[in-house]
Amino acid sequence: MSDLFEFKGAAGAGYAQPSPLLDEESARACIPEGMRRKALPRWPKASEPELVRHYTWLSTRNFGIDTGFYPLGSCTMKHNPRLNERIVQLPGMNDIHPLAPESHLQGLMAIYFEMQEMLAHCSGMDQVTLQPVAGAQGEFTAIRCIQEYHRSLGESERTEVIVPDSAHGTNPASATMCGCSVVEIPSGADGRLDLDALRAVVGENTCAMMVTNPSTLGVFEPDIAEASAIVHAAGGQMYYDGANFNAILGKTDPGLMGFDAVHYNLHKTFSQPHGGGGPGSGPIGVKEHLAPYLPKPVVKQEAAPSGSGIDGWTYTWEDPQHSIGKVQQWHGNAAAVVRAWAFYRRYGRDLEKMSEHAVLNANYLRHRILNPSPEQAEQIPAMPVDGAPAEVVKHEFTLSLSPVKEATGVTGKDVAKRLLDHGYMAPTLYFPQIVPECLMIEPTETESKEVLDDFAAAFLTVLGEDPDIVKSAPHTTPVGRVDEVWAARNLVLRHHSD
Amino acid sequence: MRLVVDQLPNLGREQELLDAIGLATIDDLFSDIPESVRRTEPLDLPGPQSEEEIWADAQRLLSKNVPLTSRPSFIGAGLYQNHVPTMVPMLATRGEFLTAYTPYQPEVSQGMLQAMWEFQTMVSELVALPVANVSMYDASTAAAEAITCAVRVHSRKAARPDVIYIAEWTPENRRSVIQNYIQGAGIELRFLGGSDGLIDLGAAEEAAGCAAVYVEQPNPFGIIDPGLAELKAILGEDTALIVGVNPSSLGVIAPPGDWGADIVVGEGQCFGIGPTGGGPIYGLFACRDPYLRQMPGRIVGLTRDESGRRAFTLTLSTREQHIRRQKATSNICSNETLIALMGAMHMALLGPEGLERLSVRNVAACARTKDAVLAIDGIELLHPDAAHYNEFTVVLSGRAADALAFLDVGGVTGGLALRDIMGEGADESWLLITATDQTTESDITALADGLAAWCAEVNG
Repeated sequence: MSDLFEFKGAAGAGYAQPSPLLDEESARACIPEGMRRKALPRWPKASEPELVRHYTWLSTRNFGIDTGFYPLGSCTMKHNPRLNERIVQLPGMNDIHPLAPESHLQGLMAIYFEMQEMLAHCSGMDQVTLQPVAGAQGEFTAIRCIQEYHRSLGESERTEVIVPDSAHGTNPASATMCGCSVVEIPSGADGRLDLDALRAVVGENTCAMMVTNPSTLGVFEPDIAEASAIVHAAGGQMYYDGANFNAILGKTDPGLMGFDAVHYNLHKTFSQPHGGGGPGSGPIGVKEHLAPYLPKPVVKQEAAPSGSGIDGWTYTWEDPQHSIGKVQQWHGNAAAVVRAWAFYRRYGRDLEKMSEHAVLNANYLRHRILNPSPEQAEQIPAMPVDGAPAEVVKHEFTLSLSPVKEATGVTGKDVAKRLLDHGYMAPTLYFPQIVPECLMIEPTETESKEVLDDFAAAFLTVLGEDPDIVKSAPHTTPVGRVDEVWAARNLVLRHHSD
Repeated sequence: MRLVVDQLPNLGREQELLDAIGLATIDDLFSDIPESVRRTEPLDLPGPQSEEEIWADAQRLLSKNVPLTSRPSFIGAGLYQNHVPTMVPMLATRGEFLTAYTPYQPEVSQGMLQAMWEFQTMVSELVALPVANVSMYDASTAAAEAITCAVRVHSRKAARPDVIYIAEWTPENRRSVIQNYIQGAGIELRFLGGSDGLIDLGAAEEAAGCAAVYVEQPNPFGIIDPGLAELKAILGEDTALIVGVNPSSLGVIAPPGDWGADIVVGEGQCFGIGPTGGGPIYGLFACRDPYLRQMPGRIVGLTRDESGRRAFTLTLSTREQHIRRQKATSNICSNETLIALMGAMHMALLGPEGLERLSVRNVAACARTKDAVLAIDGIELLHPDAAHYNEFTVVLSGRAADALAFLDVGGVTGGLALRDIMGEGADESWLLITATDQTTESDITALADGLAAWCAEVNG
């Protein structure tokens, strides 16, 4: 065990720094006496050799895509090309300041412009902002734009945001933060959008509807165009949650489905690494009528005077006419945009192939899991069932483990934890909430057939294992099942030196 | 030969998988998409590129940018040139950290959970408040969500629970983020005035009884305002004092937790990562206990596993969107964990004395730069009596934008026109000059020479 606060180096044991430009006494005298720090923070006193070992040890107690298969539904845990990390370490990325003159940022702005155009094209939108730094912030930004759009039409009473009960939690949370009220509509018995339920709630107070398509069940909403028509007829706007965009590039797009605004998760579809929880990047695209409300600024391209510019172009920041202002104080997560650009360049128009393989892998894995060999089937007391009936799924699928729980007492959570013992990350657990004992599985396009075969075999093995072993899993991880209740009751949220 | 994408292990084996499923073609996988919403044309994009081509183009494009490190640069205003120890990116980009998701499965995420618990501890120590979270997007959203958090906490007891105050010189970019975040909660934004770059404590009495007051130390002029130490006593217990900090200053400046702050926010960038064009960076968020359950963002708690071994897990998740949906304290899901990890590594490597040294280097560079610039005829400090950290504001005898353009031609990035940051409230002649621990004597000479030459030209 390694503990950061146990390192006992002498004062200054850590990182050595050059001398200040003034002697310490004179420098310290620059601080008003009443505002001088009296006691230094009780930070560790550790040297580089100790810390390299500490953080390396910590890394061995963490599971990433690089460690193994990560079938986490809704999260699109695809491979992160290492070139992208090398690119963002360049001084032209790492050491640039967002408030520097435009002439100092032309390379970044060229990449921004290319990304704005590419994302708009792939989604059937007209204008893109790269400023939102996470999917949830993209949602927030788009609802803000839609609010201002309604207000400009004198319809400020449009304050209701409709979300299906299968929506990501961020949808209702973002709408609420904008000051909207949330109207949740139940899904149909087949897990799809229920148009009658939608018709029953739209009206003159409808601000927008937020929809994920393919839905969080991994299935394409067949009635999406009609849903858009219903919302539009009532004067509302359609918002596309791009969490599942990985499934449809080149096949369909939110514009064709009738959406007015969309967010993209660059950390899902375009491989910005998830980093243990972030950073993300959540640009949004909108149709022409919402473009004047986008956060400021966006990048515009102009022909450069001959012999200057980048490939004949020069780039400027431009504030949309009725901009909502800013949602992040700079230009968003610029290095995430650059990583996503490098990822996009690897595919170009073959982004369509990326989606094909994501969907192919999901359907293959689903088939493997739901169709055990007779020998495997013999060992399994009860099989999970589809979370939603479907001929084909898109990039992910859901399973309900209710039959398993009824037969053996083994829950979805137990299966998830037992998969950790088999060397896999657990699927997304208990989401969407409309599927009982739900496991949501998304393999992504970067897994081989062999990995999918092995995972399916392990999954079926777990279903056939002694329930007591499964219920007490995991057994081989760095720690056993963690007591979350103790953590919440005792709230030890930091180290105490005393 | 046509270049193929090199990221797809099943490329060329599609039929094998399709056969197993019982489908004939790839198109069959998309048969559920109604004809009416299908794309009819392929994506109109260039073909795929190889790693070598992308690397070459990335270098070509990014070399068109002008990094702060490539010339004397005096630009700051919230993001600062720094040097991140080599260990930090090397270890933080280990795949086990880099490619992990949010640690919802604690049994296989102990590494990041422990690192974030250690991060919380170091941030808590840095600002002298008991609790810190795992990061916000940046300083601006941290400030904005601190305000909405404070409004929830004080909604019952504050005399004017729907009113908050921020310093009148809060830069437009942060002010705008705050406005976007509070408009939905129906909060009225008012401004706390000041003079000589210091908050007017007499006028601050007006803010007592509102839900929250947001000020920055050092403030956007670069001034260390000693009067802020009196603010909490003026505001009283029912009004939250929220302080935005520059964390690198806290080796020499008193931590706000010691002078009454209820919530401290700030831009963590100085620890862990370069200015990076504005992101990804990370916002700090720390608070007193009464704010804990209304706090936005993730938090890690100590616990144990079934056999009593020490373990860590995300806790107080019932505040969060994935559980509480529209009743959540915030919509934040993805945060800036990896950058916070880099920050933690940087902080741990500095240690207490290293932090102090870093602060002193910043103070010293600022003081040396100030002396050199003020030696020039025709340049005066906007706030002559103020103490500064990192940056200071001078009044020029012409437009700051003109001086910056002149300096730029000479290869010096001279600072920022305060008009561009604060808007109409700032005169066009005001120039914000930033020096950091990375500023050298030769940088200062280049700036002073350039400004002297410009002044000579302007003054004939």
